Amino acid sequence: MNLSLLLPGALAALAALALPLLIHLARRSEPQRIDFAALRWLESAPRPRHSLRLEERALLAARLLLIALLALWLGQPLLFGAGDVRPFIAVMPGVSREALGTLPPDARAHWLAPGFPALDQTAPDTTQPIASLLRQLDAELDPQAPLTVLATTAFDGTDAQIPHLARAVDWRIAQGEAPAPQSAPEPEMPALHLIADVAHAGGARYLQAAAAAWREGIEPPARHDPEEILPAAGNLTFVWLAEGELPQALRERASQGATILVAADASLPEPAAAVSLWRDAEGAPLAEGAAFGKGRIVRFTRALSPEAMPELLDPGFPDRLRALLQLEPPQPARADARFWRPLDGAAPWPETPRDLRSWLALAIALGFALERGLAARAPRKVPA
Amino acid sequence: MAHALIPPELLSRLKSLRLATTRSRGDGGIGQHASPARGAGLEFVQYRGYEQGDSLRQIDWKLYARSDRFFVREAERESPLTVWLLLDASASMAQCDRARPGWSRLDGARLIAACIAEIALRQGDRVGLAGLREDELRGLPPRTGSRAHNGLWLELQALTAEGRFPGSARLMPLWERTRAGDLLFLIGDFFDEDAVTLVERLAATGREVRAIQLLTAEERDFPFAGNFLFHDAETGVELQGDATSMRAGYLERFSAAQRALDARLDAAGIAHARGALDEPPDRLLRAVLAPGSRA
Repeated sequence: MNLSLLLPGALAALAALALPLLIHLARRSEPQRIDFAALRWLESAPRPRHSLRLEERALLAARLLLIALLALWLGQPLLFGAGDVRPFIAVMPGVSREALGTLPPDARAHWLAPGFPALDQTAPDTTQPIASLLRQLDAELDPQAPLTVLATTAFDGTDAQIPHLARAVDWRIAQGEAPAPQSAPEPEMPALHLIADVAHAGGARYLQAAAAAWREGIEPPARHDPEEILPAAGNLTFVWLAEGELPQALRERASQGATILVAADASLPEPAAAVSLWRDAEGAPLAEGAAFGKGRIVRFTRALSPEAMPELLDPGFPDRLRALLQLEPPQPARADARFWRPLDGAAPWPETPRDLRSWLALAIALGFALERGLAARAPRKVPA
Repeated sequence: MAHALIPPELLSRLKSLRLATTRSRGDGGIGQHASPARGAGLEFVQYRGYEQGDSLRQIDWKLYARSDRFFVREAERESPLTVWLLLDASASMAQCDRARPGWSRLDGARLIAACIAEIALRQGDRVGLAGLREDELRGLPPRTGSRAHNGLWLELQALTAEGRFPGSARLMPLWERTRAGDLLFLIGDFFDEDAVTLVERLAATGREVRAIQLLTAEERDFPFAGNFLFHDAETGVELQGDATSMRAGYLERFSAAQRALDARLDAAGIAHARGALDEPPDRLLRAVLAPGSRA
């Protein structure tokens, strides 16, 4: 355990220790006046000796202490090596209380969940970013503190790499109910709301055909005129095939999370950093997309005609269109605890020192109260 | 009214005290002064039967007319003893102890003077008062009785301490008023040479003098520590110094001065007593009222 200062230069404030010393020396030189009739038997020779005699030493000590604490506070002291080395037990949500068994008495037991809530609090949700939490725990714990993880037999929340930690983890697989496996949801077909003017009616037909080909028995989306009012509800994907500015209503929908597919000759609200989403065989972009608010806007780069864009006639066009309008489903992140033991041997994280300023502020407040108390208690010597 | 000056418990203790002279009274004739002789006078005491040798003028003829017997009317004889209370009223008498700021040396002197007057008046003596101050000499001529009582209390209360002790020229009225054979009490601090000279000369001229020296507790003990500026109210002299280092020298010189004073008073035949403001005045009174019985 060692102390260090972030701002050692602030210790120059210790020069202020001279202030209370000077005050006490100056106040001392003031004599008390007193009537004394037997003056003739007092000898005038012994003047007050010029030694540095200080009075009210307790008050002086309190003032010196107060100033020293203030200087130390300015130096921003940090305490290294004061970390908690008690064993830490991280319990994955889903481990039953019975499976915990008896914990060591000095251990800290917490749920493996954001914020690491104590074990006596209600169990958090079973899906947690386990790998990320383990890395955080490894970085925050004192390097000397042993870490035990009670894992369910299978869990979600892994990522691309098995955590590589600085310490060896006591990895135990508890007999508890594993969280129900997340079934990958069948991707829903985008519901198109097709808006096209007469000039683009030809292009709209290709999209109608592609949407009808996504699944059997689907009606091809009807073509709406640009003047029509947008439907209020529904998780719709809008297709805007018209020249010119995107209407305000559509922009609002996009910023609320909808995906909007626009024709090449529509002018986008702002030149966002668009990314090519679809390229032809020669690498030339066919469609580009950019985020807009919570949603996104995808734009064809060419007119929707077989002359300009032969891919419209390609048998793979419906699938490409769907991929263009749909976000990818999340990657499966489920792991078997037996094979997902964190590795050790990584370089240890630099220790997080403890900031002592809050404790010092408390000590300063107490010191100030002490100083005021002593100053009020000091007898007022009134000359008789 | 008397008893505003004297606390009740002290007043009850005074009953056991008596004022005694050490000298035989030339003019008094028989007996101790303390037993009031009966005789001709103004204050009626009793009737007694006629005895041979009584003057015919003393017979109360009206009583004879009623009772057909001779009775002699007796009155208290005027006391031959005159008691003078001389109070130092110089500025040093205003000094107080820091432990008891409202109680000055003059207050202590007033209390002692009131006690002596109470005892003397109870015995029928005549009591006079004089406050000794440089600018004025004020006081009351010796009187007895309850009217003397009230006048004394008022005069005592009116005394204030200012200036210095009067020199011998200012004290001429005192020599005119007091006579040889009177009993004089001087209450003060006796730091001033003039006060000591005064009592020596009064004693040398046949007056019976008793000196009561009142010190403050601080003069006796010098309980100071630290840096002090000492100020003499009479001379205006100031002296600054570290009280802690002054203490030993002061106590030595002060006690030497007290011993020298005692020796001078003893040599002049003056009964004397010394007390401090923080002690009850009983011991001081007992020592000074009847010096012969002092242990």
